[in-house]
Amino acid sequence: MNPQHLKYSQNHEWIRDDGVVFVVGITDYAVEQLGDITYIELPEVGLDVAQDDDVASIESVKAASEVYAPVGGRVAQINQRLLDQPEIVNKSPYEDGWFFKLEDIERAEFDALMSASEYESYLKEQ
Amino acid sequence: MKAVLEARNVKRTPLYDEHILRGAKMTEFHGWMLPVQFKGILEEHHHTRSKCSVFDCCHMGEFRLKGPKAIRSLEAMVFNDMICLKVGRCRYSSILDTCGGIIDDVIAMKLSEDELFVVTNAGPYEKVARILYRVCLATDVTAGTAKIDVQGPLSRRVLLDLGLRDIEPLKYFTCCRTQWQGSEMLVSRTGYTGELGYEVFLPNALAAPFWREVTAHPAVEPAGLGARDTLRLEMGYTLYGQDVDESHTTLEAGMGRFIDWNSEFHAKEFLVMQRELGRYKVRTGIRSMDRRAPRPGYEVFHEGRPVGVVTSGSYGPSVGYGIGMAYIPVELSMPGTRLTAGPKDMEIVTEEFPFYKNGSFKG
Repeated sequence: MNPQHLKYSQNHEWIRDDGVVFVVGITDYAVEQLGDITYIELPEVGLDVAQDDDVASIESVKAASEVYAPVGGRVAQINQRLLDQPEIVNKSPYEDGWFFKLEDIERAEFDALMSASEYESYLKEQ
Repeated sequence: MKAVLEARNVKRTPLYDEHILRGAKMTEFHGWMLPVQFKGILEEHHHTRSKCSVFDCCHMGEFRLKGPKAIRSLEAMVFNDMICLKVGRCRYSSILDTCGGIIDDVIAMKLSEDELFVVTNAGPYEKVARILYRVCLATDVTAGTAKIDVQGPLSRRVLLDLGLRDIEPLKYFTCCRTQWQGSEMLVSRTGYTGELGYEVFLPNALAAPFWREVTAHPAVEPAGLGARDTLRLEMGYTLYGQDVDESHTTLEAGMGRFIDWNSEFHAKEFLVMQRELGRYKVRTGIRSMDRRAPRPGYEVFHEGRPVGVVTSGSYGPSVGYGIGMAYIPVELSMPGTRLTAGPKDMEIVTEEFPFYKNGSFKG
């Protein structure tokens, strides 16, 4: 269920290597835990972030939580559509529901993240 | 799973298997396994506001009080009149301790001149059962009674389609006995959603057949605790154990308008003093400025000074912004007071209940 070509963090973010930029979103598991998402706050473009910084806020009917940067880098682009239509994340967490794109990332941090199968094992321990 | 349930003594309602078959997400709620959601909280919320939803409320308590002495004894513990309540009428009330703390909030229904049916919450059930037995010699019918709430603007149509013709003339906060498939049941036109709705009390054995029949109706979808919570919050209704409990008096809980000050009850003296003194924190509606919501436990600040705490809060799907309730000083509780809440100083403003004003419940 979790796409093979992505890397995963322990905070349930995914990150995709698109060459120049790296796309970040939250996993199906995270979405499932949150339920219907009602509000998303995104970082400003150009913001420098370190790994595990809280960079976005997410609220559902049930709870409020944070989205953390899976790797250090700089925010290159944000998914503006989520501001008005946060429910996109419920419908498409791995495609249309991406949160932001990072550039100039810490490559070593990226390499150390979990693969899809490692993330599956990690979820089983939760 | 079974072993876990038994070990922790978590009870199942007669509808448990129905929920599992439908793939509901289940949770424990005051010792009962209940559905949180079926298809999704938002969808279930909007379905209730536009059509009709059914809720499994079999976890709630039901008691029968018989005779004038029993009813008088109850009246001494609650803040309004029970003796003069007309047959066929329902009344919202609270069982109070002697200092006005809320032991439980209840709906009382007058079944006949000398019989009262009292509906209570699951949280304080053990304590309330003990009190109602000792004070009123009440018969506890919880174990044999199922409760299914049918709520939404189409709920009257739905129950009529099921053949419950007796419910047609029911006005808001009235009740009647009726028959379904040869068994007697009690139906009250009451609810927790702000929509036209009914609460159906029936024998346990009939619960699953009734549930299957009502959910087979094209206008009906099942809804869980999640939607029940957003629906009641939009109306400003309290959740016992979260917004109201023994640590808050009924005045603090904002129930002042329900109190019959001409009635005699054991907490009256204290509540009269509290009312005159006027210095207390009162449960007050709050809203955010956008879709972000205040959350339970958030501290509330006025001009940077802590003044209270949020007890309930969520996004209000039918109002489109964050809503909640908080205990704050009476002098700050008038609508329009600007406050902040939570770790990120969310801007909030006090607002009158209900947040959602287009409910069909009195229609």
